[in-house]
Amino acid sequence: MTTDLMPGALSAHAIRDEPYYRAVGDEIEIFAAAYAGRLPVMLKGPTGCGKTRFVEHMAWRLGRPLVTVAAHEDLTAADLAGRFLLAPEGTVWQNGPLTMAVRGGAICYLDEIVEARQDATVVIHPLTDARRALPLEKKGELVPAHPDFQLTISYNPGYQSAVKDLKESTKQRFVAIEFDYPAPAVEAEIVAREADVSGEQARGLIEVGLRSRNLRGQGLAEGASTRMLIHAGKLLRAGAPVDAAIRAAILLPITDEPDLREALGAAIAASLPAGLAA
Amino acid sequence: MTTGALSRPDALPRPAAAAGAATRLLRLAGDRADVGQQLRATLDRLRRRWSAEDVDDWAEGALALVHANAGGRCLALFCRLTDMSRGAGAAALAADACAAAELARRAGSKAAAAALEAAPAVAARLAPPDRARWWAALSRLARAAPDCVEPLVERSAIVLAAGGAHGFKDFVAAGLKAGGGDRGRLKAFFTLADPAARRLLERSAGEGGFHELERGLVLFGAALWGAPPRLAALEGVGAAPAAQRVSLAGDLIRMPHVYRGVPADAAPGLYRAALAHAMAHRVFGGPRRPAGKLKPLQIALVGLIEDARVEALAMRRFPGLRALWGPWHVARPVAATNAALLMGRLARALFDPDYEDPDGFVAKGRRLFADASGRLEDPTLARAIGGLLGNDIGQMRLRFDPKGYVVEPLYRDDNLGLWDFGDEPDAQAEEIEQAVDAARPRPEEDDDGRVADAPPREEAGRAREVEPDGAGQAIASYPEWDRAAGVERPRWTTVRDAPAASGDRRALAAALEALPGFRQRIARLVRGARVGRTARLKRQPEGFDLDLDAAVEAGVALRVGDIPEERIHRADGRRARDVATVALVDVSESTRDRVGAATVLEIEKLAVAALGAAMDAIGDRFAVRAFASCGRDEVRLTRVKEFSGRMDDAAMARLAGLSSGLSTRLGAALRHAGAELAPLRSHRKLVLALTDGEPSDIDVADPLDLAEDARRAVLALRRTGVDVFGVTLGEGCDARIFGRANTLPVRRIEELPARLSELYFRLARL
Repeated sequence: MTTDLMPGALSAHAIRDEPYYRAVGDEIEIFAAAYAGRLPVMLKGPTGCGKTRFVEHMAWRLGRPLVTVAAHEDLTAADLAGRFLLAPEGTVWQNGPLTMAVRGGAICYLDEIVEARQDATVVIHPLTDARRALPLEKKGELVPAHPDFQLTISYNPGYQSAVKDLKESTKQRFVAIEFDYPAPAVEAEIVAREADVSGEQARGLIEVGLRSRNLRGQGLAEGASTRMLIHAGKLLRAGAPVDAAIRAAILLPITDEPDLREALGAAIAASLPAGLAA
Repeated sequence: MTTGALSRPDALPRPAAAAGAATRLLRLAGDRADVGQQLRATLDRLRRRWSAEDVDDWAEGALALVHANAGGRCLALFCRLTDMSRGAGAAALAADACAAAELARRAGSKAAAAALEAAPAVAARLAPPDRARWWAALSRLARAAPDCVEPLVERSAIVLAAGGAHGFKDFVAAGLKAGGGDRGRLKAFFTLADPAARRLLERSAGEGGFHELERGLVLFGAALWGAPPRLAALEGVGAAPAAQRVSLAGDLIRMPHVYRGVPADAAPGLYRAALAHAMAHRVFGGPRRPAGKLKPLQIALVGLIEDARVEALAMRRFPGLRALWGPWHVARPVAATNAALLMGRLARALFDPDYEDPDGFVAKGRRLFADASGRLEDPTLARAIGGLLGNDIGQMRLRFDPKGYVVEPLYRDDNLGLWDFGDEPDAQAEEIEQAVDAARPRPEEDDDGRVADAPPREEAGRAREVEPDGAGQAIASYPEWDRAAGVERPRWTTVRDAPAASGDRRALAAALEALPGFRQRIARLVRGARVGRTARLKRQPEGFDLDLDAAVEAGVALRVGDIPEERIHRADGRRARDVATVALVDVSESTRDRVGAATVLEIEKLAVAALGAAMDAIGDRFAVRAFASCGRDEVRLTRVKEFSGRMDDAAMARLAGLSSGLSTRLGAALRHAGAELAPLRSHRKLVLALTDGEPSDIDVADPLDLAEDARRAVLALRRTGVDVFGVTLGEGCDARIFGRANTLPVRRIEELPARLSELYFRLARL
């Protein structure tokens, strides 16, 4: 909609087609309300349950471009805010993705923010309170946030070690929305749609997911995610036999422990009808 | 002849060899009132069948019995054996007699007579070379535990049935090992009263037993039903072999050690089928019902219908269970000669819709069950249908043997859990449960999965109840490698939490200060160790990548005519230290030995004190455990310092309070150290074993056994990412346990810093 008005750099980040998202609760309303108040949002939940898809869907719904940054352990404040580069005529300032979003009024999504270095998490602080500004230390500039700018982060409290936890001063700046794997019927609907498989096949894959999620804490750090189930579904859709698809998309990636893999494989076989498990 | 070694014992006193053995035998025993006549008759018969040489060979054997003072009964039994084994040659029989004579000398003529009495049955089962193995095993037992020979001979058939002659030999070896020097325990083992002995017999029958599969089963159960099931192995009662059906008691599922006769590759599937069936009872079954006045046949039939009912419900939930259970339904429509056979067919008919059976009873059962398919959730259904069918089977006048009846197919449970027989089975279940809990390895863990850091219990007032002998409470049990048998014996050793004594920490501190510069050198080494996690370092003089910010700054500096900074690269380097260390201090009797001026234990204390102080100062995670053992049931571990505690005065006092005594079961101590390290999140994990390098224990004859076990424990730890180093003190240390590179021999305390620097050097490279 407003993409034409966006600065050139941001137009690439515009979302033109509706990303499929199946709401499981009031998350769309909460996010929309938070956006109306320009409150920063934290999405909590296990991997592969639809956090990223949800942000894409909301950006489309709100008509804002979406700048996504996947945080990693080398991500520094400069990588987010920007840095001077050398050009023939001298140094030029290169905006980082966060600065681009702040200036252009995009939604900035920082995925797995705890992975980033401490200085990177602190740089977002002024953006998440009443100041709504990004100080560019190196440039000596304070960039006021565009009225449409909003910050969203994702955070999976489960698998990070205790040393890698969000600081209390960071956590308390956000409105949180909790995500979990959807109820079986809903998840089947999602898998059927995303992987383009039959309802029966999707329901079978949901059973597979439930088996593995029962082993959370029993040797598995996480059960099979919705994303994993969709991958298995896509293999099925492309003609792979069921046991091969489950093995390739779920059993092999999820654990390196042979005992665990065998037990999970047996439990999966036990919960699928003979026709599907063949 | 393969048995030649036994047939002519040269040690026997021999009269002038001029006369033949048969003549000498007659001269010595031919006139005896008890066996003279029988001997003469046997010799006469043999002379007709054999050459004179063969007869002499045989007589040589009989003479051995005479010389061993084995008594008339043994001679008579030898004649009986000779008559009964017509096909056997003279040499083989003579070998039997010589072996029996050996038994008579070691364990008394009663044991020898028992063996000779059992010999015909054994001979029928075993070929001569295997027979010699049987005798050799008995002879070994006679040397080590003479009073156990007779009980074992009486149970030869059971032991041979489980594993043949080789199994028999291994069984004796394992029994001697398990019993240690303890006569009571040996006796219990060889009378098969010890559950460990029965377990061994069951396991020798084949691989694929409960203990190998237990973890996989728990995971399977958890994945299907959401919560991990509580499993235990079934113990037999007395010498009776343990039952072959699952048994449910309370919320405990007890499973056979092995399913006899099931090939190893089918065992995992069978155990899973059995677990799934037990869980079907648990989830879909009703409460226990009073058995009341029901007859055994009715009880069996109601159980059969109930099995079908819960399985049908379970298959609605998990359709794939049909494929798991199906292969075990093998009943066929053959002529039914008793009720049990017919019931097996009914069980299949209710399970398998494609099964065809012409029998009217089976068809009726099927019809009744099908009619009730709409109300399968009703727990009283089985009682109703079972009652109706019971009448029918009664009218068919088929024999039902309640004692011999076992539930079919194999994976189903004994169904005793369905009934309340009014004998308070709850109390029984509780008892079983307690026994199981006590035997379960359970390092105490707090909520976030760490091994509890309770303060070591030197303060008697706060101490938990400790057994009066100071062995301490059992906290975990670990397997041990049996070198002779080449298998790992599960739950073989018990680690106990031994209380720490308090010693003179000032004297220890003074001794440490007396070594010039020692403490400082250790501290420097520990501080300098490169044991951190790798990280990207910025602004490095060299590296694989440009540090963009630094490069731009350098470029700017160049253009404005400044001297640019040269460190414009990014590189991998080590950042914060992240290492957890367990120091295992050997405090066995042999640490009393002197190495130079000091004892091994004194050197160990100084080394740990210096290391502890250094690691404490820089905040490395570090725990100290002292270990000594008194047989496999008593591996005592003393907690000198916890990971969370400081190397403070109290810890130093506990360290100073260690004293030498008992033996060295290094493998168990290493496994426990590994278990304590497992829940910690650390980049590097390190076990530092300070020992005189020679594992031994009172119940193990061959020290190589424990050395090999320790070596395997080291390898297992290494596989889980734990580096194990042995600081070996004293002479003659075996580098095989820790590996040559990880063995750090220290002969004087002054050598320790040099060895430690080697250790850290290796650690940085690994």
